[in-house]
Amino acid sequence: MRILIVEDDADLARQLKSAFKDAGYAVDVAPDGEEGHFLGDTEPYDAVVLDLGLPLIDGVSVLQKWRADGKTFPVLILTARDQWSEKVAGFDAGADDYLTKPFHTEELMARLRALLRRAAGHTTDTIEIGDLMVDNRAARAFVDGMAIKLTSHEFRLLSYMASHKGRVISRTELVEHIYDQDFDRDSNTIEVFVGRLRKKIGTDRIETVRGLGYRLLDPDAENADT
Amino acid sequence: MTRRQPPSLVSSLVRAAALWAVPGLIITALALTWLSRNSTYRAFDEPLESAVIGLIASVEVADDGALRLSRELPDPRYQRALSGKYWMIGEANDRNDIIPRLSSRSLYGSSLPISATVRSSLALQEQEPVRFVTDGPDIDANEALRVVARQVILPNMDTPVIVLAAADRTPVISAIRTFTLTAVTMIVILTLGLIFAVYAQVRLGLRPLFALGERIADVREGRAAEVEGVYPPEIAPLAGELNSLILHNKSVVDRAQTHVGNLAHALKTPIAVLRNEAAMGDVTNSLVVSRQTESMAQQVDHHLRRARAAARGQAIGVRAEMDPIIDGLVRTLPRIYRDKDLQIVRTGETGLMFRGAPRDLEDMVGNLMDNAAKWTTDRVELEVKLEDEGFCLVTVKDNGPGLTPEEYATALQRGARLDEATPGSGLGLSIVDDLAQAYKGSLRLDRASIGGLKAVLRLPIARDT
Repeated sequence: MRILIVEDDADLARQLKSAFKDAGYAVDVAPDGEEGHFLGDTEPYDAVVLDLGLPLIDGVSVLQKWRADGKTFPVLILTARDQWSEKVAGFDAGADDYLTKPFHTEELMARLRALLRRAAGHTTDTIEIGDLMVDNRAARAFVDGMAIKLTSHEFRLLSYMASHKGRVISRTELVEHIYDQDFDRDSNTIEVFVGRLRKKIGTDRIETVRGLGYRLLDPDAENADT
Repeated sequence: MTRRQPPSLVSSLVRAAALWAVPGLIITALALTWLSRNSTYRAFDEPLESAVIGLIASVEVADDGALRLSRELPDPRYQRALSGKYWMIGEANDRNDIIPRLSSRSLYGSSLPISATVRSSLALQEQEPVRFVTDGPDIDANEALRVVARQVILPNMDTPVIVLAAADRTPVISAIRTFTLTAVTMIVILTLGLIFAVYAQVRLGLRPLFALGERIADVREGRAAEVEGVYPPEIAPLAGELNSLILHNKSVVDRAQTHVGNLAHALKTPIAVLRNEAAMGDVTNSLVVSRQTESMAQQVDHHLRRARAAARGQAIGVRAEMDPIIDGLVRTLPRIYRDKDLQIVRTGETGLMFRGAPRDLEDMVGNLMDNAAKWTTDRVELEVKLEDEGFCLVTVKDNGPGLTPEEYATALQRGARLDEATPGSGLGLSIVDDLAQAYKGSLRLDRASIGGLKAVLRLPIARDT
């Protein structure tokens, strides 16, 4: 999962980036409204954490522009402004959640997970696919109840595929959603990650669809189809 | 010590006008009556004096000492018996009685009585006319005579004679009475008219001041944001100064709120950073930093809200449309509590205007609805009802667990939190209560018919809504 944080306070941005990375997300940071808007407009983020009092373009305007351009990713507004009129304006501009500073990182994480969950149509932080369970809250995965050791990139890949289980996902999409902007992207490394992941969770769980990409098989859906 | 209220300008000015007008008019009435009476009597006396002079000129003393007129006075009334016009020439004897020597036929044998005072006046002012009043010979007609008399010494006589001419003055008395009555009536009417004119003039003159008073009341009642209208040059500076004062008051409040808000907002991000840093760092130090940042966060929140609340209810001339604020909250809360499948039902009045700052209304209704949304199972009801005396009732109900009657008072205390597990600073209901009281309204908690808590907020509304 790839997150964009638009926050002008460098220390807070650094902390958030670190916390989100630890939780298994790919994170980009924009220090002002202009860059934030540009990144949100050009990169396929799974969610955005947006401050309101930003240099160059304010947060509400950035959000309005994204929504006007048809961007549907969930946006959580993180701001010191706590007036009801500001909350109403934020939600009216297209925000999905609103958290006021100072905040607890755990609460921010929980709310962001809830947004991602809702966007993917899940009801809990854990996604179960047969005997495979992906716990987004703890950033861990289990096969048949046994925890498996994954690198952060491997977890991101699994988490993204689990969120879109049963759907064919192209390599480009995977690259876009598991790497942050600074990472030297190479779609060939996806093959390497998929190979490693297959070894850890079972080779037959991830299907290669020639010329299109990969699909995490959902045994429940397959059974239902047949 | 209570100061006595000074009398109204209108009554003071009318009283001041009456103070000079009433005595002035009374003096005028007296002077007019006196002048009229004098001129009437002068005109009345003139023919009598002529008659006396005529008698002196035409009286002759015969050799035997008898008196006779060489020619009669032209006025025929002297010839007609008891006609009201008389003359007489008499002589004073030793006992000071007047012995008539010659008299007009109209006297019909009677005499004109003269008092001793008149006699002595005549003696003192020989040749000069003396005027006096006496009863006439016609007792039935109740004649009141005015007499002009002179004492003269006729040629060939040693002793002086008194020449008198008299006429009935009843018509003069009646004329003077009529004039006096008319004059007094006119003066009374004039006085009343003058006082009324002064009153009307004062009212007219003070009308812009009354209008200014009404416009100021409009501002106080929240019907207008500033003192409106065009005023005469004498009052225009006052209206201008009032508007400057209102504007200044508003800007001071706004500035203070902005500064406090900016300070609080500026502190919130560093507190968030410190708090996060503490959560990641060394355990012992982290606990201290964590505790301190938590306390800082609560203090910032508390003082920001108190500072906002302190300036509230005081601002003059501010008002807020209730619908956009309520609609915004009704729209937003289900998005905040997305997991609840929250249903918010709004009923009652629309189009009301809150007599206060929009931000305060937002805080009061927002906190109540947020509280209801936080605790409800799935339903929040909001009703706006118009009450008498310029107030409305905003009732917010939920179908959550509610509170016990014992908990109502605690819930309104500052910083009180009945459930530590649910996020919140515990300031929500106490802020609402404080704010409502600042606006002379109230907050009442009760059991809702749908199961949970019912909060009834009483708020002032601008009257022209």
